[in-house]
Amino acid sequence: MPSQRQLKGRIRSVKSTKQITRAMQMVAASKMRRAQEAQKATADYTDAANELLSHLAGQGTTDDHPLFAVREVKKRLLLVITSDKGLAGAYNANILKRYLNEVRADQQADIETETITIGRKASQFTARLKDIQIRGTYDDMSEEPEGSELHAILATATDLFRTGEVDAVDVIYTDFVSSLTQTATLQRILPAGYTETEISQSVRNAKYEPSTDAVLEGVVYRLVGAQIYQALLDARASEHSMRMVAMKNATDNATDLIDDLTLAMNKARQAAITQELAEISGGAEAMA
Amino acid sequence: MNLRLVTLAGTKVDEEVYEVILPTEDGEIGVFPDHEPLVTLAKTGVIQVRKAKTDPDDRMELFAISGGVIEIDGQQVKVLVDEADHAPDIVEAESQKALERALKMRDEATNQVELEKAHQLVDRHMVRLKVADLQRHRRRR
Repeated sequence: MPSQRQLKGRIRSVKSTKQITRAMQMVAASKMRRAQEAQKATADYTDAANELLSHLAGQGTTDDHPLFAVREVKKRLLLVITSDKGLAGAYNANILKRYLNEVRADQQADIETETITIGRKASQFTARLKDIQIRGTYDDMSEEPEGSELHAILATATDLFRTGEVDAVDVIYTDFVSSLTQTATLQRILPAGYTETEISQSVRNAKYEPSTDAVLEGVVYRLVGAQIYQALLDARASEHSMRMVAMKNATDNATDLIDDLTLAMNKARQAAITQELAEISGGAEAMA
Repeated sequence: MNLRLVTLAGTKVDEEVYEVILPTEDGEIGVFPDHEPLVTLAKTGVIQVRKAKTDPDDRMELFAISGGVIEIDGQQVKVLVDEADHAPDIVEAESQKALERALKMRDEATNQVELEKAHQLVDRHMVRLKVADLQRHRRRR
């Protein structure tokens, strides 16, 4: 049984750990709220781009555009989105497990895989793997990624696809379903897919400047970009909400631990007092 | 005529306007109600918005935008851009500093990715400064 002094020391250290985890929980909660708002806001853009794209698709202009070309997949590019920091529960583990599964499946199906990692956890993980081709690593992206930060990733992905070097581009990210549910998800962003929507007569007759192709190019590029951006925001919101839950659990555990330790210390103190009394009364009896 | 300015960070503007001047790949265009349907590409530049027919030029609202797509159907102008800043939200000193940083980044860029990013930042901050400048001149008048 540890001494009272040892117990006191442990209680103190667990208490300070609890303060830290509680602070991290609060920080994650406020960041999550902001990330959640940003995630919702981008949906407007994606919807608008989708609408435009289906207008164009209605005209049959997408048929022979290089970014829509569906080919047999011999090589694909995976964009893996993780966080830079840990302590977010199973957040990074889930993503990396999913990624590893995809890579193994590709190996069995004789498909080559290239990878772009976003977030330090992903780049550290892939650095330890053998036989992985890395196209790029993006660490320390800012908390709220600006549109311009996307261009480099987007340009790499579209160039590789356009030149036929890869036949598909997939993003592995954590889908923010709600603040309680987040799932590691794979989404194909190239070849570009789209959902059909109603096309108004006026847009059907619209003129395209400088040309239909140029406009299509602009829209596709932006839509694919918006999808990557949306994935980034989803990942971010998920990260913060998973960190919040992880830190809440840590705080609760610390509270339990403190209770247990306090009980143990009180018992130890009581035992010491009892022993002392027994010794005194034992001594008194002996004298009598 | 309804104007919708949608960015990656959400919808910036969604309101009734009389006239919109837009920077496109083929030059600036002015759009009034019942404009013929048109889909075109926006380039980095300034959007000017006249809300009411009677508003003078110096009451027009200004937005600095980066490239995007414009869809016009006579009753609605939909502008899809990566980024847009409303003139009153731009802090000139900050933009100036950001521009200097971007210029430095461009000069020190060691690879294509950095260079591209720097070029975009330079363009973006130049436009923001231009908008801030226009806004200031108006206030003086």
